[in-house]
Amino acid sequence: MGRILIVDDTMFMRTLLKNILFSGGHDIVGEAADGAEALAKYQELKPDLVTMDVVMPKMNGIEALKAIKAADPAAKVIMCTAVGQEQMVKLAVKSGARGYIVKPFQAPKVLEEVKNVLSA
Amino acid sequence: MKSVPVKVEHEGKWVPTTMGIAEDRFRIDAPLNQEIPYRSVVDLEEKKNQVIVTAGAGGEAVYRIASVEKVLQVLKKFIITQASAYRLNAFFMSPAIRGGVLVQNAQWEKGAIAVMKTGIWFVSQEKQVCIPLDEVTGIELTSREIQEKNLDVVKIDHLIENELVTSFVLCPLTTLQVLYNFLKEATHDTEVREEIDPLAGQVAMLVYSGMDSSAIENMLKLSHKDLDAIYEKLLGLGLAEVLYVRKEVQLTPKGVRYISESVKSPMN
Repeated sequence: MGRILIVDDTMFMRTLLKNILFSGGHDIVGEAADGAEALAKYQELKPDLVTMDVVMPKMNGIEALKAIKAADPAAKVIMCTAVGQEQMVKLAVKSGARGYIVKPFQAPKVLEEVKNVLSA
Repeated sequence: MKSVPVKVEHEGKWVPTTMGIAEDRFRIDAPLNQEIPYRSVVDLEEKKNQVIVTAGAGGEAVYRIASVEKVLQVLKKFIITQASAYRLNAFFMSPAIRGGVLVQNAQWEKGAIAVMKTGIWFVSQEKQVCIPLDEVTGIELTSREIQEKNLDVVKIDHLIENELVTSFVLCPLTTLQVLYNFLKEATHDTEVREEIDPLAGQVAMLVYSGMDSSAIENMLKLSHKDLDAIYEKLLGLGLAEVLYVRKEVQLTPKGVRYISESVKSPMN
C-alpha cells in the first residue's frame, strides 16, 4: 500500500480518486489543485506515488511532472486526463510518467494501475 | 471436410452433434442436417463459448453453436472473411484503453474489418474481436500519432462486461469516413440528446467509477431521497438501469426485543 498525493484542479475528481485509492488501502497524504502546489506538496510530503491531472491552471500536469522528476528522478507519477487527450501519453511518458489513466475510469482498473506502478 | 464435436440448439434444447468445417461452407449434422455456405451468412454474434450464425438474405436461419474456443475460432475466421458483409482491410488496436487505463501491450494489428448486422468484427492472424453495435458508447473521427506521423483514425468506445474499452481503426481516409458514417448511423439510438444537470452528471460519473449509493451520498453530501430523485432522472433518460432495489428497514418491537436480549448474554 502506498502514500499517495492526488493532483487535480477539480475537487470532484480529487474526492473520487481519494475514495477509490482509500478503498484500495492506500493513504492519501495530500492533495493539490495545480502543478505549482503539486511540486511544493511533493517536496514536503515525499509521497510514494502521485496521480497527476494533465490540464490544470498555473502549471499544467506535464510541467509539474517534469519539475517533480527534476527534483526526484525516482518519483512515481501516474498521469490522469480526459478521454480524447491520449496524445499526451507520449509526451508524459517521455517526461517520465510511469502510468496513465483516462477519465472516466473505473475503480478496479485504477487500483490495478497504482499497484503496478508502486511495485515496479 | 473435417468433423468436430459441437452442441447446437435444436427446438429449445442443446443437442450434441458434429460439425464439418470446409473452405467455403460448414455443415451441421443430425438433427439439423444443414450445409451453410459462408457467403450466405449475414450476421455473426458471440456469446460465452457459443456463436450465433444468421444465414439467408432475410436472416431466416439462425444457428446457435457451442464448442471449444479453438473450433469456434476457425469457424469465426471463415465466416468473417467470406460472409455477406461490408469488409475492409485495416489496422486495428483493440483494446487500447480499458476501464480508463492504457493497455500496456496494445499494438496495431493488420487485418480486416467486417461490418455485420449486429456488430463489427476485427480479424487478424492472431485475434478476432467483436464489438456489438448496441455496446458502442462513442465514435469519433480523430487523429493519432503513429510512427511519428499524425494519422486519421476512428476511435470506438464500447463496453465489454460493463467496462469502457477504447479501440482504434486505421485505414485510408475515404474508407474511414464510410466506416465512421455507418457507425454513427447504426448507433444513432444511444446518442445523448438530453441536457443533464451537473449534479446528475457527477452522480453518473461516480456510478460508472464503481461507487455505491452510500459512497455517492457521502461524497456529494446528498440525502438518500435526493440521490433517489437523481437515480430516477438517470433511469428516465435511459442512462442507467436498476441493478437491485435496496430495502430500508426499521426494527419491529420483536426485532428490538431480539437485539435487547442478545446484549444480555452472560458474556455482557
